[in-house]
Amino acid sequence: MSYAYLFKYIIIGDTGVGKSCLLLQFTDKRFQPVHDLTIGVEFGARMITIDGKQIKLQIWDTAGQEAFRSITRSYYRGAAGALLVYDITRRETFNHLTTWLEDARQHSNSNMVIMLIGNKSDLESRREVKKEEGEAFAREHGLVFMETSAKTAANVEEAFINTAREIYEKIQEGVFDINNEANGIKIGPQHSPTNPSLPGTGGQGGSQGGGCC
Amino acid sequence: MFRSRSWFGAAWGRPKNPHSLEHLKYLYNVLSRNQTVSEHNRGLLVETLRSIAEILIWGDQNDSSVFDFFLEKNMLSFFLRIMRQRSGGSSYVCVQLLQTLNILFENIRNETSLYYLLSNNHVNSIIVHKFDFSDEEVMAYYISFLKTLSLKLNPHTIHFFYNEHTNDFPLYTEAIKFFNHPESMVRIAVRTLTLNVYKVEDASMLAFIRDRTAAPYFSNIVWFIGKHIHELDACVRNDADHQSQNRLSDLVAEHLDHLHYLNDILLLKITDLNQVLTDHLLHKLLIPLYIYSLSSIRRQSEVTMETATQNLARVLNKSLSSFEQQESANGKVSSVVSLFLLSQVFLIISHSPLIRYLAWIILRTERSTFDQGLDKLSEHYEIFKRKFELTECEQSSQLEIESNASSSGSKENLLEEPKNVTDEEKEKLASTPTESTNISEKPFLETVYNSLDCTDNDYAALFALCLLYALANNKGVLPDLLELVLKPRMSPSKSVGRDIKYSYNTHLVEKLLHIVILSCQPSCRVRLVTLELALKLLLQLVTCDGQNVMSDLHKTSIEAARTQSTALLRNFYKSEEIFLDMFEHEYCDMSKGPLNVEWLCMDSAILLPPTGTPMTGIDFTKRLPCGEVERARRAIRVFFLVRDAVLTLNGEIETQLPLTNPQSCVQIDTALDLSIARYNSDLIACTVVWKDGQKIRRFLVIDIMQLILVEPDTKKLGWGVAKLVGFLQDIEVSGDKDDSRCLHITIHRPLSSGSTSRIPLLSAKFVFDDNIRCMAAKQRLTKGAFTHTGKTGAGSGSGAGCNVIKFGLAHTVRSGVMPSRLFVSPDQNSINRWPGREAACRFQG
Ligand SMILES: Nc1nc2c(ncn2[C@@H]2O[C@H](COP(=O)(O)OP(=O)(O)O)[C@@H](O)[C@H]2O)c(=O)[nH]1
Ligand SMILES: [Mg+2]
Repeated sequence: MSYAYLFKYIIIGDTGVGKSCLLLQFTDKRFQPVHDLTIGVEFGARMITIDGKQIKLQIWDTAGQEAFRSITRSYYRGAAGALLVYDITRRETFNHLTTWLEDARQHSNSNMVIMLIGNKSDLESRREVKKEEGEAFAREHGLVFMETSAKTAANVEEAFINTAREIYEKIQEGVFDINNEANGIKIGPQHSPTNPSLPGTGGQGGSQGGGCC
Repeated sequence: MFRSRSWFGAAWGRPKNPHSLEHLKYLYNVLSRNQTVSEHNRGLLVETLRSIAEILIWGDQNDSSVFDFFLEKNMLSFFLRIMRQRSGGSSYVCVQLLQTLNILFENIRNETSLYYLLSNNHVNSIIVHKFDFSDEEVMAYYISFLKTLSLKLNPHTIHFFYNEHTNDFPLYTEAIKFFNHPESMVRIAVRTLTLNVYKVEDASMLAFIRDRTAAPYFSNIVWFIGKHIHELDACVRNDADHQSQNRLSDLVAEHLDHLHYLNDILLLKITDLNQVLTDHLLHKLLIPLYIYSLSSIRRQSEVTMETATQNLARVLNKSLSSFEQQESANGKVSSVVSLFLLSQVFLIISHSPLIRYLAWIILRTERSTFDQGLDKLSEHYEIFKRKFELTECEQSSQLEIESNASSSGSKENLLEEPKNVTDEEKEKLASTPTESTNISEKPFLETVYNSLDCTDNDYAALFALCLLYALANNKGVLPDLLELVLKPRMSPSKSVGRDIKYSYNTHLVEKLLHIVILSCQPSCRVRLVTLELALKLLLQLVTCDGQNVMSDLHKTSIEAARTQSTALLRNFYKSEEIFLDMFEHEYCDMSKGPLNVEWLCMDSAILLPPTGTPMTGIDFTKRLPCGEVERARRAIRVFFLVRDAVLTLNGEIETQLPLTNPQSCVQIDTALDLSIARYNSDLIACTVVWKDGQKIRRFLVIDIMQLILVEPDTKKLGWGVAKLVGFLQDIEVSGDKDDSRCLHITIHRPLSSGSTSRIPLLSAKFVFDDNIRCMAAKQRLTKGAFTHTGKTGAGSGSGAGCNVIKFGLAHTVRSGVMPSRLFVSPDQNSINRWPGREAACRFQG
């Protein structure tokens, strides 16, 4: 299916905060956990509409590769948006946000839109982090904030779509260099009829030197 | 339950409970009746595949019969059959198929279920299936699937993927075909997968990787890195006017990605693999491209250049096509680029066999050795290594012998070779006694040293400093290699029991001192970052066991530089207020942390010729100053940097700066002698009324910086205890339209306090005894707040703490304390921070 833009997201945060569940909830709404079954996934894509334009979101979970520095740094660089997730029932996941944010800021391009997400809002009785604290953290670091539940699907759509909207606005303002795919934004086929050779990645080079194995 | 099961089992209808064996049976029927994908059943198939994932996960966690059924009916073979059909827009179906597999493998917790899934060879058949990879969606899901599988690898599961008998490892070999895919996320997934594979400890699998794939895979990576570097070099050459900063920064980031990836592999410490990788890196990339490019600065020896090129061609010949050979044979990169890239190598990679060799080449190789070609080079290195190992074993005994031997006296030449040299080299040493000859015999080191010349500009010097710093601080480099080059040597003195004698690289120290001295000249072209790094390196070169071993001559030099920097600073001291504002602002800014060289070398902006315009967005310390204000800021920073270095060299700590430190501000709960000059303002009695109605009687003191709420001390007349303090610039005051005796005061937290809370320190109503006192308080507060916030000029953004400091300083100046005392000498008296005022006020109980 054709799209006007493709935005690449990454989803980051401590293990167990619900990243994989959020991803699957967003990309495949079918998985509403009727029977207390929670399923997650580490990659997904979905089309949304903003301003009458078709926008494809590709979401890449970085889980499982934290051990490799090379991997984390390149993930950050390749993304236009990041969902930074903590678990409202576990304070330590909130306390680690600063570290995550430092990492993100260090490795990502400066325009990357970061959305702060306090997940598991359905577990009100076990809440350890107040909503106000999340809001304050977001305000202080210039992030958008939202509490979600991957279980009840509350705010999940909004979280992903609002992030996209902000990226879209930045594109309209001309902040993003959209011709540079390293930023995690790709223009849809109808915008680039000649499909110019991609910079920096050696499209043709691949066939000359690649195919090694 | 029982009844419903049989009821649904009998019918073709869809069971009500989506999580049940019946439902899976139903889905099985759907699949068997729709084995051919068509326009009409696409939607149904996708829906079915989604449901299968869900029910299998449910079964994995709740009911083992679900998995049994799935395996018994060989349902994975349906998957294969579906994906093998080219008809009817199957990419839509394929995507769901791959996602179902993803979900399956990511969510299965039961080991047995996982083994069952992998046990027939279906998964490998899916891996080798030629999907339509031109469809980016299929590509993304496919590579995610492979990555997911790689996260499941361990010594048990590896055998489902790697077949020892057929020597087949499709998961790995299929994945690395995409190692240079145009989509960055695909490339990253491939890299993740390879690392996940390498880290599985399975000897036969690793042997397969090494024998069958390592050479081609690594040489491809190395080739592409080389290609990137040429692009980077071209970008630097063609971009004197900073047009393609984005492109350049991508290329630099890409190079860092490569190095980190290689380092991540090396860190797994798989000996066999590391050997192959190290070999490829050294002989196909680092030596022929990075190192040989270093020698291009040299003008004199054209012959060497040619040999280098020939050597390079020979190396490349081994494995690369003629096209590639041609490209890199005349394809050296500029020496600045090569210095920059080598710095990154030494900052990132720590694998010692690689780092040692590389360091040895740069620091030790002589022209003659180098001219003999690469083979000879490694021969020499082998000799060096063996000697070193020998010395290591016999270190203690050797040391004694050495000390006796060296007592012959003529060891003043500071650049002589350390103890472990070959005989051949020793001879050579004897015949080349002077320093200069010695250096010009080392073609690479010579280039590095020559690059330190900042007479015209500091463009190359910054990179040379980065490289030297990186070399000196890389744990993989042999300490022996560094001795006398990048760190001092300690040798027992001639007479037993006396002082230890230290020697260091005088030549380099002089070069660095020269940079420092140049930096202190007006209108020089050395950037602050270059100066800071030069000083950092200088300290390392002359510090041994925490002790400064600098010669008197060099000490005099750096002292002179300090005097110079003070003189330079004095030129800018024209208007007191602005100057002092800047002075404290710069100090605050610089105290944020020392230079981080690794971060510096991540910044592509330094690859462009030094510029003076702030428009480029380049950090102030990484460009030349623009305009009078920036020149003043620069002079201030030079002063700080040199001052700090001198203090460190003298083993002293800073006691004079910042000029006004926050400690001198009143803190809560301190007891104050209200009779002293500092609190000379009239004390104003008032009642503080909080929003919740709480009331407290206090005395208000408004000094030059702070508002202090004091509770009189009942035991000590004339004293009070500070109960609340706020900086004047953080205060908002407004009158009360209904009551002329009232003020509404909000005291915010200082910006600099680092507190995350933006809730005000205090927000309350102050009721005074009469409207005159109220007015007086308001005037004082607003005047104070205005003075503090309105005058900052250049110092914006420095935080409230700084503003306070500035005010204190400006005040110092106004009251006639000469700020020039600052510039005289650090060991003079400290600055009078709190000038006395004539009148002291009495505490008016
Ligand atoms: N109650 C509740 N549980 C959740 C929610 N999101 C995730 N979980 C659970 O949290 C655990 C971790 O979720 P997962 O997505 O794997 O976290 P990840 O490690 O961040 O990917 C799982 O057991 C989920 O069932 C939520 O919104 N509400
Ligand atoms: Mg996860």
